[in-house]
Amino acid sequence: MAVEQPTQPTLGDLIYDKLFHNYVWRSIFRTGYPNTPRNQMLVVATNVFLHLHPTRIHRTHVKITHTYCLGGLTFFMFLGLTVTGILLMFYYVPSVDRAYLDIQNIQTNVQFGQLMRNMHRWMAHAMVILVFLHMLRVFYTGAYKPPREFNWVVGVVLLVLTFLLSFTGYLLPWDQLAFWAITVGTNIAGSAPVLGPKTRFWLLGGFEVGPDALIRFYTLHVIGLPLLAAIFMAVHFWRIRRDGGLARPL
Amino acid sequence: MATVVVARPAARPTPRARDEEVLVWPDLVFVEFISAMLFTVLLFLLSYLMNAPLLDEANANVTNDPAKAPWYLLNLQELLLHMNAALAGIVVPTVWLIVLIVFPYFDRSTEGQGRWFADVNSVKNTVVSLNVGLWGTLALIIWNSGKAALWAKDWFGFSGGSTLAFLERSAALKDPSVVPWPGWADSIPYLWFNLKILDEGPGAGVTTFQKIDLPTLLVDIGIPTGFMVGFSCLLIFFFWKINWVHTRRDALITLMSGFVGVFLMLTVIGTAFRGPGQDLIWPWDLRTLEGIPGQE
Repeated sequence: MAVEQPTQPTLGDLIYDKLFHNYVWRSIFRTGYPNTPRNQMLVVATNVFLHLHPTRIHRTHVKITHTYCLGGLTFFMFLGLTVTGILLMFYYVPSVDRAYLDIQNIQTNVQFGQLMRNMHRWMAHAMVILVFLHMLRVFYTGAYKPPREFNWVVGVVLLVLTFLLSFTGYLLPWDQLAFWAITVGTNIAGSAPVLGPKTRFWLLGGFEVGPDALIRFYTLHVIGLPLLAAIFMAVHFWRIRRDGGLARPL
Repeated sequence: MATVVVARPAARPTPRARDEEVLVWPDLVFVEFISAMLFTVLLFLLSYLMNAPLLDEANANVTNDPAKAPWYLLNLQELLLHMNAALAGIVVPTVWLIVLIVFPYFDRSTEGQGRWFADVNSVKNTVVSLNVGLWGTLALIIWNSGKAALWAKDWFGFSGGSTLAFLERSAALKDPSVVPWPGWADSIPYLWFNLKILDEGPGAGVTTFQKIDLPTLLVDIGIPTGFMVGFSCLLIFFFWKINWVHTRRDALITLMSGFVGVFLMLTVIGTAFRGPGQDLIWPWDLRTLEGIPGQE
């Protein structure tokens, strides 16, 4: 009777073994590729980045047409904007004398500077559009209904924060487009009865768009609002899990 | 009498049907990964093809005409052309945000969640409300721009004359030759002292009598508020009459879809159809807008 003999390892097997089964690799990734259901659940539950997810999810929720990944993509834009934003911060100084020159420098003298600036701008627009579409998705699938009422409220706050993040970034290039857009935008805020002029003054640090407005917008744009948004996002994601995952028919 | 404290009966999903579940790795994680990669590639491509705009250095002495807010605020800027500044810029967005926040507390039923357009008439409701919002807004903008009256004159030789000037724009209603306002109508005193709360900066000063200008109040606040609130209520009432709106959810769908229509139309008009002096123009006559390749 023929007994199946173990085959000799091929060269590919040896290279794979050397690459992924060595001591250093194992110290980072404790298991190999998760190819059993048990390991796949373990990797989701124990990985710091993946444990935002549950280990199992209802079949209908992985269908792309259910969510179109809109919420996730909005978060992905936020991450991308953080990365490109940090790179731009290396070269940009928020002073009236330097801001415009720095942007020109980024575009002409910095390796991949123009690309980074373009990415930052288009991602910012994409984030505004995606967050709006995400709100429409949640509304038209009735996903704001109990027990998810409060997470809808957190979402509305995040929508406003996204607009504010984009608005504060708009001034930073310090060109005519930025200057007049912020002048018009803050005039809208200034039109409020009683509190309007004071709000505008607080926003701009003066009566018109100038050096004080630039530093305020910069500080809000790079630290104040992202920090606030990150806190609300943490609550938003946490509540998705606490409220029983994505909404589905009862 | 003993008070029994009962924990809130949360509407929990029905017990898990394990057979209906899939593993997050790989079924969800891979979908997320692919969509993230797709967007990364698309954005790289877009950034390669189209440069972010950069005009001349900021100069407070050279006014950009048209001076426009960022595109997602152009809906508000468009509203500003048609009504009182505080109403358009502050009251409308604030009220709308509060309405949005109140949605889940107004519609508390758990019916039909987790499915697209789960309610019976929701697709019809959405499509019609969206279109009413879109084209109703366009009609109102064209009316208030005076363009409709101009076209009527150019194409049909029709002219309403000064008595029908309100057909050209609502502001004509302020004119005493159109509406016979009594002499006191534009200065009805309501405060006999200067309200000095946070009164500082340019334009701040001593006012001894604060007066209401009734024609302006009507045209800048009354009529627009009437249109915004009235049309929304009328649409919901109409749908209720024809049995498209049964539940609070249905009413919210009408409201939200109508809002999306209005929001889109205002944004599009504000972005692409407003030229120097905020006049209505065709997009191809418009210059110095951001995002156009080669215009840096």
